[in-house]
Amino acid sequence: MASTFPSPEWVQEFGQKLNSDPHYAQIAKNWEGDLSFTIEPSGPVKETIYYYFDLWHGTCRKAEVLKDLNIKPAFVLTAPYENFARVLKGDLDPMTAMLTRKLAVQGNMAVMMRSIPIVLDFVRCAREITTEILT
Amino acid sequence: MQPILKIDLTTQTSSEYLIPLEWEQSYLGGASLAARLLYQDLRSDLDPLSPAAPLLFLVGPLTGTAGPTVGRFVVCGKSPATGLWAESNCGGFWGPELRFTGYDGLWITGKAEKPVYLWLQDGRLEFRDAANLWGLDTYQSQETIKKELGQPGVHVMTIGPAGENGVLFAGLFCDHGRTAGRTGLGAVAGSKNLKALAVRGHKKDLPLARPDLYAPKRSEANHAVKADNFGDVLHALGTSGVADYADYLGTMPKKYYHLATMEDVDRVSGSTMAETILKGVSTCHACVVACGRVVALGDGVRRKGPEYETVVGFGPNLLNNDLGAIVRLGELCDRYGMDTISTSNTIGLAYHLFERGILTEGDIGFALVWGNPEGAEKLIHLIARREGIGDSLANGSRRFGADFGAEEEAVQVNGLEVPYHDPRGVSGMALVYATSPRGACHNKSDYFFVDWGQVAPGLGIGLFDKQASAEKSANVALHQDWRCVGDSLVMCLLSNVPPETTLELINAACGLDWSIEDMMRSGERGWNLKRAINNRLGLTRGNDHLPKTLLEPFPDGPGAGFVPDFEAMLAAYYSARGWDTLTGRPMRAKLLSLGLKDVAEEFWG
Repeated sequence: MASTFPSPEWVQEFGQKLNSDPHYAQIAKNWEGDLSFTIEPSGPVKETIYYYFDLWHGTCRKAEVLKDLNIKPAFVLTAPYENFARVLKGDLDPMTAMLTRKLAVQGNMAVMMRSIPIVLDFVRCAREITTEILT
Repeated sequence: MQPILKIDLTTQTSSEYLIPLEWEQSYLGGASLAARLLYQDLRSDLDPLSPAAPLLFLVGPLTGTAGPTVGRFVVCGKSPATGLWAESNCGGFWGPELRFTGYDGLWITGKAEKPVYLWLQDGRLEFRDAANLWGLDTYQSQETIKKELGQPGVHVMTIGPAGENGVLFAGLFCDHGRTAGRTGLGAVAGSKNLKALAVRGHKKDLPLARPDLYAPKRSEANHAVKADNFGDVLHALGTSGVADYADYLGTMPKKYYHLATMEDVDRVSGSTMAETILKGVSTCHACVVACGRVVALGDGVRRKGPEYETVVGFGPNLLNNDLGAIVRLGELCDRYGMDTISTSNTIGLAYHLFERGILTEGDIGFALVWGNPEGAEKLIHLIARREGIGDSLANGSRRFGADFGAEEEAVQVNGLEVPYHDPRGVSGMALVYATSPRGACHNKSDYFFVDWGQVAPGLGIGLFDKQASAEKSANVALHQDWRCVGDSLVMCLLSNVPPETTLELINAACGLDWSIEDMMRSGERGWNLKRAINNRLGLTRGNDHLPKTLLEPFPDGPGAGFVPDFEAMLAAYYSARGWDTLTGRPMRAKLLSLGLKDVAEEFWG
């Protein structure tokens, strides 16, 4: 199934991928917490986009597009659209993005530092379902 | 820069030394400038524990300006542990306070007849009796001196009993537990009967060439540090916040570098510390990160929390997962005035030799059992006092190993113990440890962060596979040059200030119009000058090596079976550096290109 990032279809397909990927299910089996993307305008994206994922014990209980971020997810990943796109295309290593101010992380750092392998696998899943990127 | 105060402890006299402008502009300050100033004095026949040996404290051009993580100073000389270039920088408030006295450095030689401490108040220096301080630990010494001087705002740098007793990895301590820990300069101070240096200054108009340009850049830089994810991690978790990821990658060694995995290792991470015993944070001068930890163990005492190296050194290195014990062992080292990396590494070697039957209960007086920190605590006391087996351990792992016919088991390079970022997890550290100017050191290049992803495209520092070989050698050299710039500024390497911002700060503070290339050439100049000093002290290509343990694969963990392709990496590194493969010296053309004509003539005629 073709899945263009960013789009509501991409969000749905990503949620399905997280619920069907055995490696993610295993590595994230202890993860408890929701997470959002704040995709800031850049390139073809003209308005901020908010994606929300409720992640629980290796599954995704909810994946949706939000109109705004009037909730407080456990983690918020914020970056200009082009940086998200580069990560999904494989042009930007996700750790490099986090260590060089390309992608901001907000949330409990103790949980985050314990969970970097989970985050990296989360990115792998996102990359695997991304067939097209808006340019 | 401001003058340096030259102090002769033998005659108890002092004089001002003006730094040549050309050297200021070529070396900026800090460690690189110290290398230039000490180049002629650091001879191979100089005993580092003799009165003639120098002890040079220097700040950088940004110190005390509330710039990004620059509240630091460096102390340099000749290491009694390695016989090579010695350099150790330190945070806290002492460095800025020194600058506020009107001096940018203290250049100390000689030996006092009896223990003394120096009291520098603005421009006035006093040599004061330290008989009552001799034997006090570093915390007691700081408090006693502050009480004696009786005025607010005094900052004290001191040695502990380890420095007095000539422990070769004794450090200098200030502002409670801030440490210039590595290369044994606390022993140099002790050999001079110099217990402490107290400073208090009121000068606020520090030299800034273009203050109107500097102020907004300083603000921008501090905002950049504050906005950095890694700064958030350091603030929330301290430097040991990286422990979980280091363990995951197999870069955190256990059981004296012989295992990559350990059950319950997460019990000693920065995350666990934050969730259990953390009570607050501490900071250096004007730092927006505040990575220092304040912890409590349930006895009503607030203690310094350990940073990553101490956590791993007294934790997984000894198969110990008791965080409270790690806190206490770290504090014990701080109080005695000893570097926790070298102490824990040398003690780890003792555990290792005991397990192998090379060291016996008869040698030590008690057993050493992996996972039991009680033996480590006893050894720390013996080391600091140079009692029993401690007298051998106090000379560091290389000599301790040699004393028991097992020098090759010591995980050290050129006499400095290896920190806890294993090159079998991130191969770049192989070159870093082998070629650092002060022996195995993770601060002259924290390349493990580059291997994790902290690249700097503007400097040409890119991302290579964590187990890459010679293809990353030039990248390592570039990163070393970049960190050498930071050591000139005496900027904390954890701050991750963007290079372009750092350049603008340098230009504004020093009145320069450098490009990125000029800045990196300055770093390369400093790196090669330190190399030349070491060459003069007898270092050759044969010294650029790794201990055998790091060239044997881990049996477990994510990097199991892997060892760095060290010889290929080193050959490519020499090529990138422009160093002579026979002598290990920088080639004539390289030295001339860096403006080191005097060194080129000395080496190559």
